[in-house]
Parts: sequence; C-alpha cells; structure tokens
Amino acid sequence: MATEATAQAPKAPKVNKFGVFQRDKIISIIVPIVSIFLAFVVGGIVVLCLGKNPIEGYGYLFSGALGNAGRVAQSLQSACPLIFTALAVSFAYKCGVFNLGGEGQFILGACATMFVLETTGVEGVPGILLGILVGIIAGGLWGLLPGVMKITRGLNELITTIMLNYVATLLMNFMYSKVLHDPDSGNLQTMAVADSVVLPKIDRLHIGVIIAILMAVAVWYVIYKTSFGFKIRAVGINPTAAKVAGFPVKRLVLLSFVISGAIAGFGGSVDLLGRQYRLMTGFGSGFGFSGVAIALIAQLNPIGSMAVALFFGMLTTGASSMQVGIGVPSAILDIIRALIIIFAVAGMAMMKLPTFKNLLNRRPMDQEGLMPPTDTKGDDGSSLKPEVSE
Amino acid sequence: MAEMLRMEGISKQFGTFFANHDVNLDIQEGEVHTLLGENGAGKSTLMNVLIGLYQPTAGKILWRGKEERISSPARAVELGIGMVHQHFMLIEAMTGFENIILGSKVNPSFTIQESKDKKKIQELMDRYGLEVDLDVPVGEMSIGMQQRVEILKVLYRGAELLILDEPTAVLTDQEVEGLFDIMRSLTSEGKSVIFISHKMREVTKISDRVTVLRAGESVETLKMSETNGQELSDLMIGHRFVESVYDKVVAADKPMLELKGVSYHPNEKHGGLKDVTLTVNAGEVLGVAGIDGNGQSQLAALIAGLIAPEEGEVWRNGQRVSIYSPDDFIENGLADIPEDRNKMGLVGDMTVAQNLILKETTSDKFSYGHGLWLKTGAIQEYANEKKQENDIRCTSVNQTVRSLSGGNQQKVILARELEGNPPILIAVYPTRGLDIGATNFIHDRVIAARDGGCAVILISADFDEVLKLSDRIVVLFEGQVMGEYPGVNPPIDQISLAMAGK
Amino acid sequence: MEAFLSSMPEILATTIRMTVPLLFVALGELFSERAGLVNIGLDGLMTIGAFTGFVVGYQTGNLWLGVLCGAVAGIAVNMIYAFCTVNLCVDQTVMGMAINILAPGIATFAYKVVFGDGSTLVQGVTMDKVAIPLLSDIPVIGNAIFNQTLLAYLCYLLVPLCWFYFARTRSGLNFRSVGENPQAAETLGINAVQMKYLASIVCGALAGMGGAFLTTCYTSTYATGVVAGRGFIALAAVIFGRWSAVGILGSTLLFGFFDAVQISLQIAVPDISYQFFAMIPYVFTIVALFFFNAQKGGPKANGKPYFREER
Repeated sequence: MATEATAQAPKAPKVNKFGVFQRDKIISIIVPIVSIFLAFVVGGIVVLCLGKNPIEGYGYLFSGALGNAGRVAQSLQSACPLIFTALAVSFAYKCGVFNLGGEGQFILGACATMFVLETTGVEGVPGILLGILVGIIAGGLWGLLPGVMKITRGLNELITTIMLNYVATLLMNFMYSKVLHDPDSGNLQTMAVADSVVLPKIDRLHIGVIIAILMAVAVWYVIYKTSFGFKIRAVGINPTAAKVAGFPVKRLVLLSFVISGAIAGFGGSVDLLGRQYRLMTGFGSGFGFSGVAIALIAQLNPIGSMAVALFFGMLTTGASSMQVGIGVPSAILDIIRALIIIFAVAGMAMMKLPTFKNLLNRRPMDQEGLMPPTDTKGDDGSSLKPEVSE
Repeated sequence: MAEMLRMEGISKQFGTFFANHDVNLDIQEGEVHTLLGENGAGKSTLMNVLIGLYQPTAGKILWRGKEERISSPARAVELGIGMVHQHFMLIEAMTGFENIILGSKVNPSFTIQESKDKKKIQELMDRYGLEVDLDVPVGEMSIGMQQRVEILKVLYRGAELLILDEPTAVLTDQEVEGLFDIMRSLTSEGKSVIFISHKMREVTKISDRVTVLRAGESVETLKMSETNGQELSDLMIGHRFVESVYDKVVAADKPMLELKGVSYHPNEKHGGLKDVTLTVNAGEVLGVAGIDGNGQSQLAALIAGLIAPEEGEVWRNGQRVSIYSPDDFIENGLADIPEDRNKMGLVGDMTVAQNLILKETTSDKFSYGHGLWLKTGAIQEYANEKKQENDIRCTSVNQTVRSLSGGNQQKVILARELEGNPPILIAVYPTRGLDIGATNFIHDRVIAARDGGCAVILISADFDEVLKLSDRIVVLFEGQVMGEYPGVNPPIDQISLAMAGK
Repeated sequence: MEAFLSSMPEILATTIRMTVPLLFVALGELFSERAGLVNIGLDGLMTIGAFTGFVVGYQTGNLWLGVLCGAVAGIAVNMIYAFCTVNLCVDQTVMGMAINILAPGIATFAYKVVFGDGSTLVQGVTMDKVAIPLLSDIPVIGNAIFNQTLLAYLCYLLVPLCWFYFARTRSGLNFRSVGENPQAAETLGINAVQMKYLASIVCGALAGMGGAFLTTCYTSTYATGVVAGRGFIALAAVIFGRWSAVGILGSTLLFGFFDAVQISLQIAVPDISYQFFAMIPYVFTIVALFFFNAQKGGPKANGKPYFREER
C-alpha cells in the first residue's frame, strides 16, 4: 500500500523536443551496457582465480569472433537463430505471455521443414519457400497448444511451454534416430538437405541473417506502429482494462502465442536451411532460453533484441577461441551471459525503486505537473497518498 | 483525565513533498478524538507514523508522558496502539480466530493452543459486545463482522488506543449505531479512540474532540461541544464551503436503457442480482444508491456488457440486446466510467495520449488503413487538445497515466468516454478517493452530459453524491431493487431504511 | 502386458525413486510460495545441487557431505533470487528464469574445471539402500517404500513436518500470512522480508537436496541435463497438490509413478520407439494440469512484489 505510491513517483520532468521522457530512455540503454561490463568483470575475476589472464582471454574472445571476415560471418550466423527466438519471446511478452517454449517451437519448425523437404523432394526456390512455410506453420501450431490451454483452462504457460520443449526434443530425436536417420552415418543425425534448398549465400553469409534483421524491423512495426500491436501491448499491461475497453482479450492472447511460435519456427527453418543442413543431437538446444535472456536484456524492444542477439552470437563464436587460447572452459561465457541478464533486470528494477527515484528526482517543487507521490494504485484503490494541486 | 498520547511537530517528507508538516495531536484517556480532513490532508500518513509504518522526518511522540521512538508496527503494538485500517488488513483465507491470533505474542507457545486462546477472545467479545463467528473464514463474513474481527485483533493485543480509519464507510446505518455502542463501551473502560472520518453527521455525534488537518498540517483542535458541523467543514476546506447545486429534471419518457427482470447469480447475497428492473431515459440521471457490496459491481458489469444476465432482458434504445460483449456495447454508444479506474479504466503504463485514444486506434482520425499505421502526430495533437479542455494536469501527454494523481486520471477517463456525446453513460463510484475540487469537476461534466441528452446511470455508495446528482433514485439491496424515489425532495429516511433492506 | 504386471514391484520401487527428488523440490517450492515467492528457478537450483552433490561426494567419498553441500549451494544460488525479488522487486518469473540460465552455466563450467573437457562421464557411487526391518517385508509396497536410501527416508519425514508446521504452529500461521497478505502481516509485527528470506533458504536447501538426490542416490554421474525439467514438474505438482504438504505428496507420487511406468515400458515394449514413452511424464504433467488446474487458490499474494517503505 504505502509504498506503491512512492514506487510510482513522478518521472522527472525533463522532456526533449519530441516530448519523450529522455531520462528513462537513457537509463534503459545504459543499464544493459553497464551490465555487460560488470558481467565481464566478474567473469574476469573467475578467470583470474583459475590463474589465467582474463585480458588475454577476452582478447582471444573478440578476435575469435571478429578477427576476419569469415569469423564475422560466423558470428552473424550464430546470432541469426537467437534473433528469431528473442523476437518470439519479446512479442509474446508484450502481450503478457511468457513463452519459454521458443526452443520447442524452433525445433519443431526445423523438423517440419526437414520432413516435408525429404518426403516431397521439392527442390530449388519452391523447396525453400515450402520448407520455410511449413516451418512457420509447425512453430505456430506448437505455440497454439499452450495458448489454447491458457485461455480455456488458465494453464500457466511457463510450465506447459517447458513441457512441450521436452516433447519437441524427443520428437526430433525420433526423427533423426528413426524416420530420417542417415544410414551412412554412425552418428545420430538425419541426412543433409538437398543442396538446391540451402539458403543462398552472399559472400560467406547466408541470407537468413538478412531475413532475421528484417523480421526484427517487422516485429517492431507491428508492436509499435499498428492498432493490433497497440492492443497487444494494452492487453499485456492491463488485461482487465483492455477487456472493458472492448478488446477481444482472449483472441489477442491466443494470437500472440501463435505468432510467437511462428517466429520461432521460422527461425528453426532458417537455421536448418542456412547453417546446419541436418537435424542432430543438440540442434536448437538452449536457443529458447537464450532468446529469453536476450529479450529481457533488451527490455523486450525488438531492435534492441536484435542488437543483443548479435552480441550473444559473437560470444558464441569467440568462446572456443578463448578456450583454446587460455585454457578456460568456454562455459565461462554461459555464466557471463547469465550474469548480464541478472545485472540488467536487477539494474532496471533498482532504477524503479522509490529510493532511487527520489535520488534522481531531487529538484524543486515549483513546476506545474511535478506532483508529489500521488494516490496509490493498490488493488483496493486505496488512497494513502495525498492529492494536491488539483 | 490523563494524557495518553502527544505527537509534537510531526513532519513526514516523501522526496520533496511534505505529506505531514508540523502536525500536533494529543489524545486524552477515554475520549473519542476525531481526525478530520479531506483525502490527502495527511491523516493516513500521520496514523502510519503513529503505528510505526513510517518514520517521521521530524517531530516527537510522547506516550503517557514519555518520549518514544515507534520504530516498527511491533513497537506500536507493545505500547498499546492498534489500528483498524479502512481497507481491512485481514487474511481472507484464514478463520476469524486465526486472524486474531496472527503474529501476536500474547501466548508465546510454539503450537497453537486453540481452546486457551479462544477463551481469552470470548472474554473480550462478551465484554465489549463484539459478536464474531471465530471458525468461519474471514472472506465469508459480512463486512460488519470483518470489522469486529479487526477490532478484536487490536484488543487481543492489549490496545489502549484504537485508531479507526473511516470505519463507517462500509456500514449500514444500523451497523454504524452498533459500532458507536462499541466505541462508547471502549471509552468507558478508559481506552481511547482516534476516529477518522469525513462524514460530518457521524463526527458531530460521536466525537469528544476534533482535530482538523488540511494540506498536511494540523489546523486546529476543538471540543465538539463548542463547535458545529459547518465550522468544521469550513476549517477542513480552508474557505467557506459552497456546494454547487444542480437542477433536477423530469425527463421525457424516452428509455435508452432498460433492464427487465434481470438476474445474475441470484442466490449470492454479496454479488448477485435478483429480478432487477429499471429504466433510464435520455436526459436524466438515475442514481443507484446502496451500501457497497450489494450487487453494484455486477450491475455495472452487466450494463457494460462484461457479463450476460442469466434471466431477463436488457433493452437498449428500444432494441433487445442479444450480444453481451463490451465492444458491442461500446459500438452502440455506451460510455463507461468504471468502478476501479486503475484496474478497469486505464492502462497504467501507457501514456496519457494512448489512454485517451484507447478505443479509437483503428479510426481514420488516428491511423492509416484502419490501424495499419498509427498517426503519432494526430494522436499528440488530439491529446493536447483534450488535456486543455479537461484541465488534465500533467507535464506531457507522453507521461504514463500511472504517474498522474487520481483526479487527473479520472479526467482522462472522462475525456475519453464523453468524446462524441455518447447516448448512454454509466458512472460507477466516479469520485471515489478524489478531493473536492476534482469531485466538483466530475459532477459538472456528468450533469453537462445529462443536459446534452445523455442517459446517465450513477452507481455510488456515497449517498450524498447520489442525492446531489440524481433525478430519480433506486436502491439496491442484496441484489434487489428496493424501491424508486424522486430526485426532488427525496424521502431520505425512507431511502436509508431501504438501503438496510427495510 | 503380463511382463508389465509382473514388473509391478519394480515399478513401485522406481516410483519412489522418481518421487523423492520431485517431493524435495516441490516442498521447497511450497515454502517459497507460502511466503509469496513463485520460484521457477527450481530447475536451476536442482542442477547446482546435483552438480555440487556429485562433485563433493566424488572427491571426498562422503555422499552425505555431498548432499549437505548440494543444499548449501542451492541456498547460495537462491539468495541471488531472494535479494533481487525481495529487495529489488524484480519480477519473480524473470528472476527465476535468470537462475535457470545461470545455475547450469556454473555447473557446466565448474564440471569442466574439475574434471577436464573429456567426453566420458566420471563415474561415482550411489548411496546404499537401507531396508527397514519388518516394514520392508510388507507385501508389494513394503520393499518399494522401505528399502530405500536414508535420504529418501528423510524426505518422507519432511511431509508430516511441513504439514505440522503450517497447520499447527504459530510460526507456520505467521509464515502463511506473508504469502496471503504481506501488508497485513507487517501491520501485525510479522517481518515479511525476513519470512521471504527464510522461505528462500528452505527452498534453496530442499531444491539443492532434491538435485543432490539425483546424483547420489539415482545415477552415479553428473551429466548436463540430468534434471530434465523436474523443477518445472515440481512446480506443477505444487499446483496439483493444492499448496498442501499432503497434497504434494500425492501429486509427486503420481508424477513419479508415470515416470516409473514409462521407464519400464521402454524395456517392456521395444517395438515402439522409446522417445514416445519418454514423453509420458511431460505430457502427463500437461494433462494433469489441464484437468485439475487451480485457477484460483494458492496464496493470494503469490508472485506479487511487496514494496515496503523505509525501515
């Protein structure tokens, strides 16, 4: 009660010429950058504790990721699937849906693409288009399932999407060990897709990366520039008010599940046709959670998600160079990535705490509109804090 | 009489804002001391300082002559200070008994000794006439009984000073009488009561002394026997209080909204509607009076299209309603000032501008291609226009609506809903928690809408508000319409009785 | 089918083995949610417990020390969660996910630091089973329930203890009030923040022990992914068990049973690809929730941040 009021203390009245509250924007960019820096410092301390030189290690990391054109291309291609899963998470979360099933939708998209291309044998550009289309549909359907369960029976999507990840992984396992198993290989994997359906390359970069970047722009457009996105956001913030305002809340929630799943499925197809060419153990593993991490660090902004995903792709590519270079397990980067997200969410939360807000808001009370902590928004609508200057 | 409590020069600062500034208050043994002030005058802050939830920025507290620092609610309980909050601090899933013993150190045993503790509670119940069913979950109790649980809770902890924050707001007249009896029996035993209220009728009836707060400062402390309601009102507002008076009209027989024998969960006392029949004509205000929790929320939800009746019919503008969905109702000209502005009326983290166009995002005015590209410029321009028109006080229309004060939030809703002269308006508790200035503004706009030909249904638990605005009045009790009364010279006693189900 | 039936005693024994880790974690989550903290980081906490339990047990040869360290590691990681959600008011779901990403990272990294980057898994040992005289002779269920490791018996014991704590003690009553209405609890002198930390300590310890059970009593190795979503299944078990210790015992037994059935089916019916049997626990979790979901119920302030001014 009491403190909710202060938690919603007024923003500083610093307004730029677009009328946007500059400070909040700046904070939302600075916090992730500081988080990345801090995470690297902590990672460096760990490396130091192992008796290795962190500066040297990070040197290997970045030269491994960006050292030459080939490596840059590799970094971009590692980032490509992460952009898709991060966008899937961002889109759903904007509607208040926490989709942890990116991995399952990604895998199922790839499985569907693989299966259709192998069974129909369509080749060339039609094959690519068909493959991607069924990938999108499969991902969307895999997203539809938890959506239906949520709106009909109120099932928590956190649990259902995770469970469906395991189911999808097992389905893929069935795929590469039974249905489409490559008889010539001792490993558990499918045959490679036909050369003609591999995504075209520009220099060393497959065009999936460009598709991913266009996708980020498209998601940004839908969320921020259309009435549909506006409604999605309203539902995500306050479903009750959205319902009273006449929005079809359940339909929007369901759509956000489907679209989110479709984006992830799209990513699976693209990664299959552009980079991996076959299904095998570990395909797509961890991409869902990485997508969650990226989306949260980027505070659900699609363009920001793309930027963070590119950074994460870089880390993935550079990790092995670092391991070889200074002999520290590349898993150190998993820790660093997790620390970035912890610092970022903690930092953003901290900025919203009353104590910090008050620190930032230290300025005279004489401007119009600069109000004291106003009445509370408690569930009970209670008013603890005064209302002044009416 | 000995002095029990003295608060001297209490200040409480939030950021740069003083919620309390140099407030003085003294409480004698065995008195009912009223704390009088508008919403936002600093009453709640002062009481939160007293019960240890807030630490004062300046000032000191003396308890029975000795200076004390009340560092925590636990310390306040130790001293013998107990508060019954306006919004009850009860755990609905737990029984009355569990709520009473919760967190108390009266009986320090590790396990719960039910019979021993109950005996002690029974003694208190008998002594002060507080009747409570201890084994029923609090969520299933009537509001009056919940309040008695709250009082028992503080008495069980040995409170000497009881703070009752707006205790009568949720009670019927009969229940208020019962509460006053309890308060008198408390003071006759040497306990003191701080009574927080703004209902002048009750203040003059029960108080021994009154301290008036205004804008965070204590204005004056008066003996009730030496003052009167008008003087207190003027002190509270800071100038001579002149209430605006609205003309009552008799509208032509042009029904815009009719409910015919509507029922919804009719067997529920506190959340059903039973065979409700009412009519609202164009150009009139129909006031729905009643104590909170007698089906008002359901009536409002039904009129807004959020729920469908189980029996009966709803007619709108001469046509029977067949689709019960909010967007269909909005499409057909319903404007809605919902019960809870933060939960139902506004999307808090969106901007003022976005909230103003919430229902219009596909219109050609604000977007190209029916919502394919929102016209940011047009939205800004429109929002600034509405801001001027409705005196919405904010730095920018791109501020989140959450950061506005309650009054300004309500103005945002009003501006949105009354845009384009809707034929039907439902206003539910439209001025709850607002100060007099904002209240007046809202009332003026509602009446202006009526004069423009809008059919207005006003649902309010504030009886005075219903009397002031309504051209006709119906009373809702346990989901039933108890009777219809004229808005001109309404039979107040009769209506009060109807509100209690008599 | 006959083979399946004749393997019933074996299935029951496996049921218990699969139930115990779930029960540990679900009881941990019960404490957390009763104090209003929905902790979806259970999977991560289990992972860190499983790893620590294994590595300490392997290096010292003392599995009990391993379990203890697993619990301590669970607490340590959960303190990050507690600090961020309680003091900084970070969204609980977000923070839980962060733990789910961090903990496996730490475990994988530390494993490689300790054991090198080899591809073969390091083999440890598991705890011995201790048959309880007389009780273990009860037909059908006796051997399944009363011929288990001591850690499993400890887990059994937790159920009545939790029930007693929440239903019969003053402290348990106060604890519950924090999850229902922290503001009200604070006005009654109950320190909500302290309670939430207490809950996080218990949750971290139990989740860590649940994880450690996997590597000290179930398998004798640590492999990435050993937890296999059990943290999330436990989350479902808490809902399914209606936030009561006894209910959770029932729901985890059911989940454990389906896990045991799928394991024996994999062996009994080799004609069908094992992947479809392996899906059973996950599909069953969804199905169970679908039919017995509690949309309402559970602590009222569950998952909501609690802002406290000053102090």
